[in-house]
Amino acid sequence: MIPLDELLGFSGVLFAIGIFGVLTRRNFILLLVSIEIIMNAAILNFIAFAAYSPSGSPSGQSIAVILIGLAATEIAVGLAIVLALNRIIGSVNVAQAMELKL
Amino acid sequence: MNVDALLFALVAGAGIVTALGALMAREVVHTIMWIAVFFITLALTYFLLLAAFLGVLQLAVYAGAVTILLLFAVMVVRKRIFSREAAIGIGAPAVALTFLVAYLMLEMATSVYTSEPGQGYSVADLSRNLFTLNGAWVLALGLVMLSALVGAIYLAHESRGKAIRSEEGA
Amino acid sequence: MVALPYLLPYLPELTLLVATFVVFLLDVAGEHRRTTLGGVSAFFLIVAFVEVLADLGTWPFHALSTLPASWNGTAQGPILFTSLGIVFQGIFLAIAALVAIASLSEAEDPDGTPTFYALLLLASLGMLLVAISGDLILLLLAVEVTGISTYVLVGYTRKDRRALEAAMKFYIIGAFSTTISFFGASLVFGAYGTTSLLAFSQVPSDPSLALVGFAMIAVGLGFKVTLVPFHMWAVDVYDGAPAVVSAYLSAGSKKMGLFALFAIFVGAVRVFDTAGNGYALAIMMGGLAIATMTVGNVLALQQQTMKRMLAYSSISQAGYMLIGLAVNTTPSLSAATLQMVANVLMKGGAFVAVAAAAAIGVGPLITDWKGLGHRRPILSASFAIMLLSMAGIPLTLGFVGKFYLFFSAILAGGLFAILAIVGLLNSAISVFYYARILKHIYMPEETGSPDAHGGTRSLASSTLGSSTSPTDPQPSVAISEFRAMGYARMGVIVACAVLLIALGIYPTPIVTALNAAAHQFVALH
Repeated sequence: MIPLDELLGFSGVLFAIGIFGVLTRRNFILLLVSIEIIMNAAILNFIAFAAYSPSGSPSGQSIAVILIGLAATEIAVGLAIVLALNRIIGSVNVAQAMELKL
Repeated sequence: MNVDALLFALVAGAGIVTALGALMAREVVHTIMWIAVFFITLALTYFLLLAAFLGVLQLAVYAGAVTILLLFAVMVVRKRIFSREAAIGIGAPAVALTFLVAYLMLEMATSVYTSEPGQGYSVADLSRNLFTLNGAWVLALGLVMLSALVGAIYLAHESRGKAIRSEEGA
Repeated sequence: MVALPYLLPYLPELTLLVATFVVFLLDVAGEHRRTTLGGVSAFFLIVAFVEVLADLGTWPFHALSTLPASWNGTAQGPILFTSLGIVFQGIFLAIAALVAIASLSEAEDPDGTPTFYALLLLASLGMLLVAISGDLILLLLAVEVTGISTYVLVGYTRKDRRALEAAMKFYIIGAFSTTISFFGASLVFGAYGTTSLLAFSQVPSDPSLALVGFAMIAVGLGFKVTLVPFHMWAVDVYDGAPAVVSAYLSAGSKKMGLFALFAIFVGAVRVFDTAGNGYALAIMMGGLAIATMTVGNVLALQQQTMKRMLAYSSISQAGYMLIGLAVNTTPSLSAATLQMVANVLMKGGAFVAVAAAAAIGVGPLITDWKGLGHRRPILSASFAIMLLSMAGIPLTLGFVGKFYLFFSAILAGGLFAILAIVGLLNSAISVFYYARILKHIYMPEETGSPDAHGGTRSLASSTLGSSTSPTDPQPSVAISEFRAMGYARMGVIVACAVLLIALGIYPTPIVTALNAAAHQFVALH
């Protein structure tokens, strides 16, 4: 089994990459991808903690199942908003649509 | 034991490279290819963690459905998105902040120690936990999906049509 | 086989779920008029509100009457009923009902109307779940129910580019903040081994992991509550969204985020005071409160349009309420809750008043309101009362809330007194921009702002009296004003103003009740 600290290190690096993407990208799809990278890091954390759970309860894996469903749902809504916006202005470049500062 | 460590090093390295590749790609379609591989590397990690069901779910939902959704969005709104605007400027403060966050997370990770041996769970255990003890989560996720369904259908359809209406009813 | 007594406590939630499906069915049946759909929604929301009042039982709610006795304050799996949670359910339902009634005066939109009411009901359902969740994951999922509904609500006028852009921005910020919260939750889960909120009042096995996790949850929810480093999105979204939706966001979903912060952090702030971590979370909350109050107020000073001014003032109000969590005592939590009750009435009412003014052709700029006090006395008087309440002028509920809040910070002593002093200074600053608006409304030629206060208050009370008393000297003016801006909308505005004054003059019962609820809440966590 992989040690817990290495797993947390992996997810921490993924988290940092996701934050980097959110801070520097202006394209809507890339923002979604960055957010998904962070979400995957969170799911990995939950599964890692479940594997090393002192009480031997699979709660962490249950949360991971829920989060996978949640992330897919969220993406669907985001794409619906993009479609509606695209119908009016014909671009999904966030920088062009608005000044989004983080 | 050693095989596990070697496999994890390979998978984690691939995961980090593909995550970076997705953000650095010049074309948005390439981003989606990179992110698909990224999702697969995480699925492999879950298999290494003896969470086979989660690995399958990751492959089906993330590497399958989410990737297709993203690709679909790019295809529908491709008018200007194939340009190179994906790789716009990288702010130095953002890079510095990223390294700081990564350093802090690694620092925190090394402080975590557990003497427990790692363990896997059967799908029966998982579903017992999910549907009895934590059934409220499933209900709440159902509500999230209901509101997403209502909202997404409303925003995406052009005007009132019979096909879409019946879909909303279902 | 579910026994009825175990279903009874969930009656308000079930009512809203039924209401949502009734709206769906009406939509499928081809009914798209606002009067029907809005009326049904408002009816069910009011029914749920009455059920919540019944839940609170004996005054000042020592018992939750519909609960099995052992349920009050003990976790039922991921569900946790507390008196304060039920009070917040009442707050959420009140603002949802206000918005549903006020929206009856909006323009007809056959496509959007059913979706608007369905999503309004679903968002309120999410808020109700937040108020009774005793589990971190359930709480964040419930926040997400409201989140996803409100992303679409902001853009529900699909043809309006500005609203859609606001929706897109809101969506990105919302998805990002949810994700950060869940990442923080994963670390907290690792530190505690459980996600039950009641567990957070103990020292975790790994404090540094828990602290990082809590900080990330605070950041994620900070985006929802518009705390200051994370507030940039709020003004554009409130400005771009339809005014009734802005009212719902400012008075409703922001309060939900604050309650989520309360539920997660009341135990944790205390633990990290005692666990030798040097007040880490209390200092973080206090710093966020100071930054939020100050930046919100300073930026509000410079705004030229009414909606942006209200948005910034709404940000600074969130800062005042966060004082309650930083101080983290029974009086401070009850004072913050009281301030939220006031906020529902004044922010909700003010955004609806902006919608009403837009309906009679008043432009978005503050200067466009010039002289409105003489042409539309009832609207102006009600709006003036809301502004005075936001500024914290005595005899309004806003004053009572702020007074108790600052008083509780001073009572806690030590460094917390700084919070009270900064809060007082900010209240003084805020009087300037509220007075500037009042000056525009009532005295287009004069410049003396101190006079504007006295003049407004007397004018406000006199007009208010005339609008409610049967012996109205000019009934035709009042009726024409109601007709021009919509009966439902004006009814909501006047009701908000009257309640602000009434509760401001006689706040004792509500203060006693909130104290009892906050006492239980603090003892529990």
